[in-house]
Amino acid sequence: MKDLSHYGPALCVKFYNDYVLAGYGPFIHVYDYHSATLINKCRLFHYNKVHGLSLSSEGKILAYGARSVTIVELEDVLKKESLVDFERINSDWITGATFSFDNLQIYLLTCYNKVLICDLNCEVLFRKSLGGERSILYSGIIKVFGPDKVYVNAGTVMGGVIIWDLFSETKIHNLLGHEGSIFYVNLSNNGRYVASCSDDRSIRLWDLETGKQLSVGWSHTARIWNLMFFDNDSKLISVSEDCTCRVWNIIESRENVAELSISNVYEVHLIKSIWGVDVKDDEMIAVTSGNDGRLKLIDLLQLKRHGDEETSFSLDDIAKQCGDIFEKNESIKGFQWFSFGVIAITSLGKILKYSDVTKQWKLLLTNEKFNSYPITNGIQTQNIAVFSNNKSDILLIKFSKDSADIIETEEFHLDELSKTNNCLVTEYDDDSFLLTLQSPNPREKFVCLEISLQNLKIKSKHCFNKPENFSSSCLTSFRNHILVGSRFSTLVIYNLLDESEEPFIIRRLSPGDTTTSIEFVEDKDNSAVFSVTNRDGYYVFIELTKNSLEEGPYRLSYKVLHSNKMMKGFLEGAFFNSKGEYITYGFKSSLFYLYNETNCYELASEVCGGSHRLWNLAKITDGHVLMYIKASRFHLRKIYNSIVPETLENGVHGREIRDISICPVSNTNTNDNFKDGHIFCTASEDTTIKLGYFNNRTGKVQNFWTQRKHVSGLQRCQFINHKLMISSSAREELFLWELNDKYNKRPYMTIRQALPVSTNNPDLRIMDFDVKFISQSGDFLLVTVYSDSTIKIWHYRENQNKFDLIMQGRYKTCCLFNVVFIALKEELLVVISPTDGHLVVYNITEYVPFSVDPISGDLVDHKLDPTISNLPAPVAQLPVHQSGIKSLDYVANATRTSATILTGGDDNGLGLSNLKLDDSNKVTLKTSDFIAAAASSTITSGMLINGGKEVITTSVDQVIRAWEITAGKLSLVDKKRTTVADTGSLDIISNDEDADSDKTLLIGGVGLSIWKK
Amino acid sequence: MGKSSKDKRDLYYRKAKEQGYRARSAFKLLQLNDQFHFLDDPNLKRVVDLCAAPGSWSQVLSRKLFDESPSSDKEDRKIVSVDLQPMSPIPHVTTLQADITHPKTLARILKLFGNEKADFVCSDGAPDVTGLHDLDEYVQQQLIMSALQLTACILKKGGTFVAKIFRGRDIDMLYSQLGYLFDKIVCAKPRSSRGTSLEAFIVCLGYNPPSNWTPKLDVNTSVDEFFQGCFLNKLCISDKLSHWNEEERNIAEFMACGSLQSFDSDATYHDLPSSVAGTSSSLDPVQSPTNPPYKKALELKRSGKLTRSV
Repeated sequence: MKDLSHYGPALCVKFYNDYVLAGYGPFIHVYDYHSATLINKCRLFHYNKVHGLSLSSEGKILAYGARSVTIVELEDVLKKESLVDFERINSDWITGATFSFDNLQIYLLTCYNKVLICDLNCEVLFRKSLGGERSILYSGIIKVFGPDKVYVNAGTVMGGVIIWDLFSETKIHNLLGHEGSIFYVNLSNNGRYVASCSDDRSIRLWDLETGKQLSVGWSHTARIWNLMFFDNDSKLISVSEDCTCRVWNIIESRENVAELSISNVYEVHLIKSIWGVDVKDDEMIAVTSGNDGRLKLIDLLQLKRHGDEETSFSLDDIAKQCGDIFEKNESIKGFQWFSFGVIAITSLGKILKYSDVTKQWKLLLTNEKFNSYPITNGIQTQNIAVFSNNKSDILLIKFSKDSADIIETEEFHLDELSKTNNCLVTEYDDDSFLLTLQSPNPREKFVCLEISLQNLKIKSKHCFNKPENFSSSCLTSFRNHILVGSRFSTLVIYNLLDESEEPFIIRRLSPGDTTTSIEFVEDKDNSAVFSVTNRDGYYVFIELTKNSLEEGPYRLSYKVLHSNKMMKGFLEGAFFNSKGEYITYGFKSSLFYLYNETNCYELASEVCGGSHRLWNLAKITDGHVLMYIKASRFHLRKIYNSIVPETLENGVHGREIRDISICPVSNTNTNDNFKDGHIFCTASEDTTIKLGYFNNRTGKVQNFWTQRKHVSGLQRCQFINHKLMISSSAREELFLWELNDKYNKRPYMTIRQALPVSTNNPDLRIMDFDVKFISQSGDFLLVTVYSDSTIKIWHYRENQNKFDLIMQGRYKTCCLFNVVFIALKEELLVVISPTDGHLVVYNITEYVPFSVDPISGDLVDHKLDPTISNLPAPVAQLPVHQSGIKSLDYVANATRTSATILTGGDDNGLGLSNLKLDDSNKVTLKTSDFIAAAASSTITSGMLINGGKEVITTSVDQVIRAWEITAGKLSLVDKKRTTVADTGSLDIISNDEDADSDKTLLIGGVGLSIWKK
Repeated sequence: MGKSSKDKRDLYYRKAKEQGYRARSAFKLLQLNDQFHFLDDPNLKRVVDLCAAPGSWSQVLSRKLFDESPSSDKEDRKIVSVDLQPMSPIPHVTTLQADITHPKTLARILKLFGNEKADFVCSDGAPDVTGLHDLDEYVQQQLIMSALQLTACILKKGGTFVAKIFRGRDIDMLYSQLGYLFDKIVCAKPRSSRGTSLEAFIVCLGYNPPSNWTPKLDVNTSVDEFFQGCFLNKLCISDKLSHWNEEERNIAEFMACGSLQSFDSDATYHDLPSSVAGTSSSLDPVQSPTNPPYKKALELKRSGKLTRSV
């Protein structure tokens, strides 16, 4: 067994010239951060994690973690695969380490507040400590100010920060003020300040000379793990369990007075914890590393780098440039961004132009018709501004490419509508764009105009029937159709070639607020995929399919491919960026946000006052511009694309991965994009399911989606065939998901059905489930086991998309951890493993309307009326383990007369049992082997591979073990340590059906590792 | 323990409230005792509870050694509970607010025991966890080692030591080290401890340290220095940091404690079993909630002062 790749907690990170160095498990990763390329990963320790790094000016790296320490050359780290031969071990945990002033010695601070002074061969020269102190430290650093001035800064568990002089071994300060353990301490380079953070969620700034507390900074909402001074000691940056990175200004008002003031918040990692941070002062870029394995680069000059990120104008400011033209109470009522700048309209119909080049405002014209409820739109690429009012008037203005001169205007009135309350525009073809107008009168038609891009004349007019409760909110065109989003989560599709045709209506795509955007995503054959966002926070991907000519008259059909909900707030729109990442935007209370939904981090935010503002977001060449009105001022906020890559590593879940499932390759899978690896799912304690893809050869993982449907921590996820997946968790949540991998750009996954729950306020955990398909159909039997000892069997019918309960019962009162269906001969058995360590077998053959095909073992449907029957009494019960059985797997023999069952327990034991049907179909169950100390901690997963000849187990002691089975006996053949803590899940896939040795293993816990066997 | 708990799964929590225990962990000690009967020994005289706050194990010790004991001579029985945190009084228990690593604490306990050694030492202590598994497990092991230092100085030959452990990556190294001090080490998991948690307990039977080793508590010696000469496998403190080597590891025998009829801490119960029935009304907490270090931060959050404005 060999590890191929690993994603998991990155505990420390440092800039060094053009590199970012990160402690990544027992490895150090080196990236060229300008291009986001991983230059090398080099193993430094046998299995301890790298917790900290210190760099010398001569290119040496001092790395430490747990009791391990090493000194290596950067040159070697850039090239070599492993430098573990240099690993040294101390007797105590190393809390901090650094090079001496002349780089010829190293200082190691242990968790007992002692310092070892060593030479570069790790020979201990001196031991230094502060007498009479014996508190264990969670944190501590050594700050070297000069050859004779070295300060030790120790954060104790009792709220004190002890600062002592290394060489004289004398205490300088014991800074008291925090409550709880101190998690980090740092000193400013100028020697003026101490900054500390603790369990109390505050950051405290102290005067190093006097020991006086200068300021307390409150802002983080969970524990703070790391902080550092930067920008000539004028700022602090902190990272926390709350997954944010925060920047603080140190405001010095007068001598000996300094105040911490929060200046920026970056929501950049997944729950929970950011561990490491560093800043590159000359570029003002920060890098953070988190429990999610993500390495995130942050531009600290996001609002200052280009100089024009933030501008705002009051009407008075504009009047200073255009002359005193505004009346009292006049205000800006609409605006639109174009390549040259902004076109805006006031409440009195004054149309203004703002040049982004000259930064000057100019009055273009006044048209008083547009003083009542003006709506402003635009075709940005063609420099066409569109104004409408509530009286069916339209004003179109076309501007020249750069100089922004008016080259065409057109005004018309639409007689078909008595009043209008909404106007929308969209691009159509090379010669024209589309404009829709809607009347508040439900009996009046929905009008769509095709308008020439050249002369702004109406080329054609379409009057469509409006469905009930229709109120247009967004518009897009696709081929000869328009797709109109409406309130009440409705989508209406009109055919421009046939006005008389009834519209195609899709209702209730999400719970039910206004549809905020529709974007074409990709197409294949006769189908096209659209992304639809809704203000209620849901986004849905739908597939629209046009039937082929052979199938009869023209007809549209649709299918939901994907749906998900944003964490919180209002979702106003979404699009894919050039890297194929899904970017969403909207509002969270008073913030506007731009969010990378594919990888889950905030790109930018703006305190704009909230969604009820008049606002507009537009694309510009190198980013976006947000326009909004706040406190009567018109604001322009440019959100430029980051000057550095946003991430170096995207990471996985920030909490424990409870289950992993690899999608089996289907014979019908025609998509070449996913042929070098597999699509897989991870189910986590963080309540989300991630859908990703790994490359078989490199082990590289790409994440596509993070599903937030579950509200409690996941228990299980399992692909039941190549397109269906089931996930389960507490609150009786069990969802059937459908995967679609036929499109080229990415797979999609949506909920097909949820399992019925037993009460209105369910509190049971669905611990495990298993599925048995009914021969030649998409129907299956599902067995679910619960935390209250309940066992339920369900019949799922594909054409009705429905789960029917057909059997239920209870084992005892204890929790059930695992369940499997085993079909032997013509009998259908259910095997469960409760917390009492028994294997319990039920024979349900007589009680279900199915029989078992004796050859294939598949179920045959007898189409009998389903009735709900009671679970029969068990046919066999066998105590195998002393306490809970955590893993259960089986393999049936070739003739399907017996099965080998593998169990792994909380009692460190690994059991092999034989389940057999005798000639009279009587069940016998016997343990053939039991290894009591198969691991030094709970065995959390075990899988039988190669037809039951071999076994792989994972356990909480972080060891992966391979076993062989000969004549019903287990023997250990290989064991390897993993850096994945709380190791709890495993899935294995064969890359070659004929070769026993070519397998890929996915190991999950706090992190994800991919191994080859 | 607060007044309400939404988790119906936690029968032990209800039971603890009902029986007046300060924490559900009382049942863990009771179930360990059901298996090992260390508290039922009529000759048990002097016991020490380390890291005792809020005091549920001391309550169990008090009830077992005094209230429920059939023994007639209870006068010379002594229970001493030590913690850095203050603890509300418990009948028959002498509570010391003191540091278990300090020699003065040892002296105080020995004085209370009339310079006799203890028969039984236990510790249910656990540190605040950070989420860094290696660090959390290390700090827990250091806590055990600190308890073990005091234990080594105070426990009689043949005595018993019980402590909470996290069964993580290096637990087998701890088992191996304990093997040098005791005749038998068992890893015990009471049914009241959730199967989904890493928690378990080491039950160390028959204190029997190497004959040529004399433990001595000194505020300036580290744990490693203390056990120097005792753990044969441990690194020797030398002038050079040693190269990495695979350290000695042993897997202790596992034993599930509490009968299969006792409640399952992982299960959800609907109808409360008869022994806890009749307590459906909300019981007042036995111990008021402690003041967490982040109390001020919580208050600021509640009053909307931590909402994002930048």
